[in-house]
Amino acid sequence: MIRFAAIRLVEILAMLVLMSFVIYALIGLMPGDPIDLMRSADPRMSAADAARLKALYGLDQPLLLRYAGWARQALTGDLGYSRLFAAPVWRALLPRLGNSLLLMGPSFVLAFAIALGLGTAAARQPRSRLDAAVNLFCFAGVSLPTFWLALVLILVFAAGFGWLPASGIATAGAGDIGDRLRHLILPVATLTLVSAASYTRYVRAAMREALAQDHIRTARAKGAGEARVIFHHALRSALVPVTTILALSFGSLVSGALVTETMFAYPGMGKLIFDAVMGNDYNLALAALLLATTVTMVANLAADLAYAWLDPRVSYQ
Amino acid sequence: MRFMNVFREERPARWRSRTIVAWFLACAVITPASPAERETLSIGITQFPATLNPNIDVMAAKSYVLGMTLRPFTIYDAEWKLSCLLCTELPSIANGLAVPVDLPDGKKGIDLTYTIGPDAQWADGVPVTTADVKFTYEVGRNPQSGISNAELYRRISEIDIKDDKTFTLHVDKLTFDYAAIHDFMLLPAHIERDAFAAPAEYRLRTRYNADPTAPGLYNGPYRVTEFVAGSHILLEPNTYWAGPPGRFRRITVRTIENTAALEANLLSGTIDMIAGELGLPLDEGLAFAKRHGEVFQIVYKPGLVYEHVDVNLANPVLADRQVREALILGLDRAAVTQSLFAGRQSVADSFVNPLDAGYTADIPRYGHDPARAAALLDAAGWAKGADGLRRNAQGQKLSFELMTTAGNRSRELVEQVLQSQWRRIGVDIRIKNEPARVLFGDTLPHRRFELAMYAWISSPENVPRSILHSSEIPSAANGFVGQNATGFTSPEMDRLIDALEIELDPGARKKLWAETRRLYATELPSLPLYFRSDVFILPKWLSGVRPTGNQSPTTLWITDWSAQP
Amino acid sequence: MKLPLLLLTVIAAASFAAPLANAVLGVDPNMVDLLDRLSGPSLAHPLGTDELGRDVLLRLLAGGRVSLMIGIAAALAAAMLGTVIGLAAGYLGGWTDRVLMRGTDAMISLPLLPLLIVLAALDLNKLGLPASLIQSDEISVFRIVALAVLVGWTTAARLVRGAALVTRNRDFVRAARSLGAGVPHILWLHILPNVLGPLTVATTLSVGDVILFESVLSFLGLGVQPPLSSWGSMLSNAQELITAAPRLAVYPGLMIFLTVVACNLLGDALQRRLDPVAARMR
Repeated sequence: MIRFAAIRLVEILAMLVLMSFVIYALIGLMPGDPIDLMRSADPRMSAADAARLKALYGLDQPLLLRYAGWARQALTGDLGYSRLFAAPVWRALLPRLGNSLLLMGPSFVLAFAIALGLGTAAARQPRSRLDAAVNLFCFAGVSLPTFWLALVLILVFAAGFGWLPASGIATAGAGDIGDRLRHLILPVATLTLVSAASYTRYVRAAMREALAQDHIRTARAKGAGEARVIFHHALRSALVPVTTILALSFGSLVSGALVTETMFAYPGMGKLIFDAVMGNDYNLALAALLLATTVTMVANLAADLAYAWLDPRVSYQ
Repeated sequence: MRFMNVFREERPARWRSRTIVAWFLACAVITPASPAERETLSIGITQFPATLNPNIDVMAAKSYVLGMTLRPFTIYDAEWKLSCLLCTELPSIANGLAVPVDLPDGKKGIDLTYTIGPDAQWADGVPVTTADVKFTYEVGRNPQSGISNAELYRRISEIDIKDDKTFTLHVDKLTFDYAAIHDFMLLPAHIERDAFAAPAEYRLRTRYNADPTAPGLYNGPYRVTEFVAGSHILLEPNTYWAGPPGRFRRITVRTIENTAALEANLLSGTIDMIAGELGLPLDEGLAFAKRHGEVFQIVYKPGLVYEHVDVNLANPVLADRQVREALILGLDRAAVTQSLFAGRQSVADSFVNPLDAGYTADIPRYGHDPARAAALLDAAGWAKGADGLRRNAQGQKLSFELMTTAGNRSRELVEQVLQSQWRRIGVDIRIKNEPARVLFGDTLPHRRFELAMYAWISSPENVPRSILHSSEIPSAANGFVGQNATGFTSPEMDRLIDALEIELDPGARKKLWAETRRLYATELPSLPLYFRSDVFILPKWLSGVRPTGNQSPTTLWITDWSAQP
Repeated sequence: MKLPLLLLTVIAAASFAAPLANAVLGVDPNMVDLLDRLSGPSLAHPLGTDELGRDVLLRLLAGGRVSLMIGIAAALAAAMLGTVIGLAAGYLGGWTDRVLMRGTDAMISLPLLPLLIVLAALDLNKLGLPASLIQSDEISVFRIVALAVLVGWTTAARLVRGAALVTRNRDFVRAARSLGAGVPHILWLHILPNVLGPLTVATTLSVGDVILFESVLSFLGLGVQPPLSSWGSMLSNAQELITAAPRLAVYPGLMIFLTVVACNLLGDALQRRLDPVAARMR
């Protein structure tokens, strides 16, 4: 198992190197540059200015050379300056990362908790009213686009009732914990509702299948209590597909939620990555995306290790 | 049995969403803020300024915020007149502060003398002096400093410092707008000098990014006291400001990029107003006005954003002038602005705005004349077929690709209307939209388009060199720079542009403008659509906001804004 | 089983038959009528008109064609691709597993946005596609399906691999192996039926996901191009009109909701039929 994990970590490093090149190339392949957009918006900016600025940012050099330059710097631990923020990359990244963790963390945990609860309850009583109600909740949550839910929540709770702030991370000039928490309520609610609906479907399907297995009948026949049956026996094998889904979503803790952040004007990683990519800010985009990649791959590694622990029938050659 | 349960429970979901919709519609009539809160003002805009350094990066959001915190020397005001903000008097040949000179190479230059306002101070108490002028000039001249609009700095060959407040610029090109130096945005020497120690690093070290709340960076009525990237900027009065004070104790500028969310924020009271320069597109503003027009002040102001359709003259079909004229005659632009924009966007007949000094009414105008359009197309060899589409003798369809920036809903709406109007005269239009960066960065410079709809942003009396001069056609020879994407080549137009730039007499200039516009309207290298309007949504209690219609932000006159109960 | 199938058939039939009906009735979902914008339900327009005066019902049906095509095609294609990769990785293990799974990880971590823009800017002429296809209205649809498949196969792959890992060491599989059964035989007859559970859920969920993905693409300006309509782009356009005409969002939202319900119930029913364990229970 240790060997397995160690080999995987080496593979992850190799993948990071490969991904850094692919991402750099992808950004470089996007036609145009924000400088062109600047020029079309300002009548007084001349072609000479545009050319000078492009040379200043090194954009006239071939892609491979620029990548090599970045790679060399990155290997020494220097992630460079963000073109967009004109500050060192980590200084632009860290506050946004913090904001995202504050937003995505609670949503993730809440959604998982709701999914476990509802999914298990529904699976235990198939074809009941509870099952139908849970199904309805799932369908509603899954068929509602995030930007719509966000807009409706803002209109109802902020514009309508006036209970909660409509956007931002804090009131200007204030910023204590209570204020920040109030600003978090609507975005977290949006994300939780949408994710919980999707997770619940998986939990319900997995639990239904698990509860139909032979060893459950055996355990019940042996007189095991209902709680033990559910938590000790059924959940373990049901959690395999659920772990997969969770691991796949784990990366979003770092990569944020672009649409939710846009709707609530919440400066998180999702918006940061979007702006960095659109602004051809290679250093910032690469740092953020490689961080997200690392988290995803480590999460998948954890999921693989978890399979073996959860279900003894799994083994790795 | 189970499915019936689901079905029964499904209907509540539909009613639930309907109820929510009805609820918020009912709640959408809100009461304005109570009188006690009117010392603060919260402004909503759709963009966040990446940097506050006045000379690096061109961004409307930055101009908007800096309008309250930094004084430019000169500006075009709401009457489209050039006026002095930081300086005391505009140099002109009449008052002797502007002296044309003959340069050694036979060209004409001009010497301009400006005096900085005697009470001008940075917000840390240090007076604004010519030391700042000299420093800014140094930064502007350095090719590595990252300044975006270096054209002005390049033209100034030398600066003479007379004393602490007076200086003379030696400009090496005499143009009619010689007194306009609003690109010369002063930087505080006493703060920025350290950042400029290594010029190549200036844009990374500038205190405007490293420490945007430092008082000494600003010399206007307000200064920045809180800067949360991506979210909001807080402004408070500058205690060293010598002019009339701003009436608000605190101004917040909040960025909300999604326009529907921006409206919701306004309705919830999180923001008090939506800035017109960076706010709702006109059709959304009109829809908002219809629903909430009684609770807010809605101000419309047409501006210098000229929406048009560029025609690629390299396309053999479009190179035929008759086809171009037929295309414009086949459009009912008045109907478009009337129905989509409630008539608030004026139909354009050229790139010069009616409010501009260069505007005269006597040029060819095209109304909606489908009969004449049909006649022109027939004469050009395009006969209408049984399916309503026109074909030439070789059987090719009269069909074009129309492009615009993807995701811009107003443009997409107009595009689809144009498509259906052109179909009626037998022209088949295929819509192919691209993201803005692809359109401006790749498609237009490489001229890989047939019809492209987008906007030209200009300034008062802006000579159209970059868009109509034959030397500005992007091609492999010049590395695809240049904004004359249509490929318009006309020796007459070149001559007019060259003459316009140096004509000092306003009367003669007006004649030249008339000729330029006549040529443009006759040749139709692009099809004029309309001038885009800004819509300002203000609370009833706010007065003094005067939209300019040119690119000067309304915030430059923030001291005129006040809350009348 | 009957109800979702019926629902889906009705929606699909109405949408796909729409062009024929339009031709017969002489109406056009793209017909702009600037004088009749945003009007309410009437005899001529049962669901009212949109911001350009086009009939909402016609656009809903035309949009249904596009959305259903995108949703179903992308979901099925992504599921198939993912299953193949997942089976190979999960069952064969070793180096195959390693390479395939690292490839999957890479795909998951790939940033969508630059990929989208690069694909939008891709000059299709260079790929050798016929000119009539490139110039057609539907090309944006194919782009979106391609993108959705590219992005969607990873979930199926990981799920199938997970299930395959569990199943391959079970007794009946080992028995089959010792009896000399070939790999394809084992995969098809033994492994696949046991992975169908989570796979079916994922596929049916992803139909709705893809339709909503298209909606987010429209939100970002990279979705289906006008004048083509889809439920996703109708929803995305409607958010700006939320104060002027909220019903414009309710209709496409409702259609998406019904489609999601139908697909998921179908998936549930399929899971029950196809799951060998559950089958034994009946």
